[in-house]
Amino acid sequence: MNKLVLRVLGVGLLAGISWSCQERDPEPQQAYDNGVFVLNAGNFTDNNGSISFFNREKTTAEGDIFFKENGAALTGGVQGYAEGGGYGLILVDNSTAGQDKVEIVNSGTFKREATLAAPDIENPRSVVVVNATKAYVACWDATGDFSNFYKNPGYIAVVDLVTKKVTKKIAVNKGAERMVQVGNDVYLGYVGDANSITVIDAGTDAIKRSIQVGTAPNPIAVDANGKIWVSSGKEVVRINPQSNAVETTLKVGSDLRKSASHFAMSPDRQNIYFLYSFYDAADGYKQKGEVYRFSINDTSISATQPFANRVFSGLSVDPMQGLIYAGVTPSFKQSGYVLRYRTDGSVVDSVKVEIAPSGFYFKQK
Amino acid sequence: MLADSISLEAVTVHGSAPERFMAGLKVQRLDSITIQQFRFQPLTDLLTFTTPLAFRNYGPGQLTTVSFRGTSSNHTALLWNGININQPTLGQTDFSTIPVAGFDRLSVQYGSSASVVGTDAVGGSILLGSAPQTEPGLSLMAGRQQGSFANQQTQLGARYGVRLNNSWTFSGKTLLYDGQMNNDYPDRQRRGYALEATTTAQQGLVQDLFFHNTKGHRLSAHLWVTDNQFTLTPENLSSRELTRTQSRRTMVQYEAGAWTLRSAWIRDIIDFGRGDFSDMSHSETDRFANRLEREFQWNLGQPASSLTLRIGGEWSHYRTRVDGYVLPVITEDRGDLFALMRWQATRRWLVSANLRQAFVTRFDPPFTPSVGTEYFVSESAKHLLTARGSVGRSYRVPTLNERYWKNLGNPDIRPESGLNKEAGAELRLSPNAIHTFTTSLTAYHNRVDDWTYWNPDRNYRVENLQLVVARGLEAQAGWQGSWGQLTAGSRAIYALTRTSQERVYDVYAVDIIGKQLVYVPIHSGTLTIYLQRGRSRLTGQLQAGSRRYYTFDNTKYLPGYILANLLAETTLKWGTWQGRLQGQVHNVLDTFYLNVKRNAMPGRHFSINLLLTYNSK
Repeated sequence: MNKLVLRVLGVGLLAGISWSCQERDPEPQQAYDNGVFVLNAGNFTDNNGSISFFNREKTTAEGDIFFKENGAALTGGVQGYAEGGGYGLILVDNSTAGQDKVEIVNSGTFKREATLAAPDIENPRSVVVVNATKAYVACWDATGDFSNFYKNPGYIAVVDLVTKKVTKKIAVNKGAERMVQVGNDVYLGYVGDANSITVIDAGTDAIKRSIQVGTAPNPIAVDANGKIWVSSGKEVVRINPQSNAVETTLKVGSDLRKSASHFAMSPDRQNIYFLYSFYDAADGYKQKGEVYRFSINDTSISATQPFANRVFSGLSVDPMQGLIYAGVTPSFKQSGYVLRYRTDGSVVDSVKVEIAPSGFYFKQK
Repeated sequence: MLADSISLEAVTVHGSAPERFMAGLKVQRLDSITIQQFRFQPLTDLLTFTTPLAFRNYGPGQLTTVSFRGTSSNHTALLWNGININQPTLGQTDFSTIPVAGFDRLSVQYGSSASVVGTDAVGGSILLGSAPQTEPGLSLMAGRQQGSFANQQTQLGARYGVRLNNSWTFSGKTLLYDGQMNNDYPDRQRRGYALEATTTAQQGLVQDLFFHNTKGHRLSAHLWVTDNQFTLTPENLSSRELTRTQSRRTMVQYEAGAWTLRSAWIRDIIDFGRGDFSDMSHSETDRFANRLEREFQWNLGQPASSLTLRIGGEWSHYRTRVDGYVLPVITEDRGDLFALMRWQATRRWLVSANLRQAFVTRFDPPFTPSVGTEYFVSESAKHLLTARGSVGRSYRVPTLNERYWKNLGNPDIRPESGLNKEAGAELRLSPNAIHTFTTSLTAYHNRVDDWTYWNPDRNYRVENLQLVVARGLEAQAGWQGSWGQLTAGSRAIYALTRTSQERVYDVYAVDIIGKQLVYVPIHSGTLTIYLQRGRSRLTGQLQAGSRRYYTFDNTKYLPGYILANLLAETTLKWGTWQGRLQGQVHNVLDTFYLNVKRNAMPGRHFSINLLLTYNSK
């Protein structure tokens, strides 16, 4: 068993190296080595999230590849996905407490390797693979009713990718949400009442500090200058990870009804795309809004020239081709679509996927 | 005894027996033996194995809603002694909360009959009733079910009847039931899918009192109190969820000659909470409903020809308190005027025509007429062939949620407009003293325009967006044979149900045009076979359904499956005592199937039921 683990791990490491160095891969290509994973959240109580897959040059997607490879469905909403060490970690959020889980699959074949379940995993929100043997899964823990939703402190489940077990929980604040790794540090954001970011040492799993930011701060990504961008209420802020100082605070747009979400960094790390939307009470609470883009050098974000004039349920940029991927959810009871845009805002094509496409994972080997 | 009776004779049910005015519509009466066989089970189980109704089931002991002939869960009227007991807030019933023990009679009426029974009767109606004891005397009953997974139920009851004087007779029934489903599965997984951790506790009290005299005066009083507590993940003290559904249903009915007066009060309560259940969200709806009817009857010359006219009116007052409505307390009044006519033109030909106009505060229901007919096409001592047909409009008063929910409700919602057409034939054969056969075939077309839809494009605000057309075929065949001590029988039902949304109302509706509505199998069927010798009976029950789509565009589905049960029972008698022992094997084929939450349903499991009865005579 250990030999197998080492071999799989070795392949994964090689894959990682060849990806970063653009070397020729001596191993045969696996089915899911090249292409795009679409994370379909599914409809909450139907527990029918799934991952669709397609090659970049194709316009049809393969549905529910986890079911196809394993003969059983994920049985929950797909909340996140990340790869490393030859593995993929799928965050699964079931409508019933105690049935959430993380499925660990072989990243090339999508065959199930292990399942992390409750009480290790409860309301998983995001995942980062911090190195070839370790992943972090940010969790809310059990939630309460609407008057006190985030009733428990959150935690980060530390996953050992060798034993495929949760080895410890790092206690953090309520509403633990998004994580971004910067060097050896992991920046953790929150939803709910929190107003600071938590910085965790990925080597020791110790909390290093918290950085005061503002309403519900969440890290977006690291830019071309090595600065980390954070969304917070109606603002975005730029933090210098060297000094941990907030360098810039920019107000997003001026429309009091709208709020910004679905931030996505461009491959050159110079531009950030986002959705700017609201629910129109005067029109039956229809969600309305547009996608905009700002440069990391901008001194204000006016949100007046839309990149795309519609709302989306997911937004991301393919680091290989630079196309913008946007998820469309007509309803939570039918297939969604992925629209692909060029950087000039023109549409390339659309790909029919599954229910509520809300995230993407781009692969190239 | 397994026969579906589609009877042409006026049934001797008193009060406002709606079936009498449904000529041309198919009515399936379930026999008392079948009802007895399911007396420890929810109404869902009984209907699943005896009718083609489709249920949307969230798990054992959990929310279960119906789709009747391809309509939505709001389109089936559930009547208890003639009054609609759907929850007014939701316009539907959670069938898991209705135990078979709660009623004595059950008829399933297919197709729209809104002109006769009022709102919700679009796909069909389910008629539950209490029956008086016909003989004077006392019988006491104690029943116990012990099942797999530490599930159990206890029932205690009495039936009594006494002749009060020369003209008046009194009878009654009292029943208490108490069930606890612990769902203590030895294995929490089936084929990689979870068996959800839940418990359901259910208590109830049924009380029926009947007084009647020789001059045709009848007074009856009915009470049905139910309390259903469903707990999700009970062992997880911080995230467990409790849904408590309580109903108190009371009714008094007085019948004097041609006049019938009925008064009912129903309170429906739903409480929902999480964690320590200290802060429950509460909804409570009261209905005070009154109805006065007068029946006229004329003989039209020939002995077999008569005309019956029943006219009447209803007035109900509603009062609802729901967290989340636009006002803390909302009241409204609803009225109905109706005229029901049954014309026995000749011995072979029956016509019914019905008119109804409902009135609702802040809402205008449409005028609702219907007409139906039945005709003996061919008859002899050994066979009877009947043809029937019916056309009727239907309507549905929108649910209180649809009209009063803050932001998402829509006070301006229009009535749905439905038109149901159907035709069918039935053949009964009794070629000799041993065998009887019945078979029937029905085709229907039910078009509902302005179908309300919680529109995801408007953040789930409810709108009159869709046009749904449901059409289908229902075939039924039954056989019964008896040879002295031995009897055997079987009944098979097959239903083809094509139901689809037909209107383009936005750019992505193109993907769902013409697609089968969610959770409604296109093909479904049931099969029951029994063999009886003396007082012992072996019954096999089978139910099959094709795939159930769970997306509007039919890209995703839950696979079809076949479920089968086996039931062996025998009755022992010792003087005035009687013991009935039943052994049940549920899901005898160990079928793997999923509920709508994508949790696995239990595999093969068992129960033993014991019913002890004492009869004074």
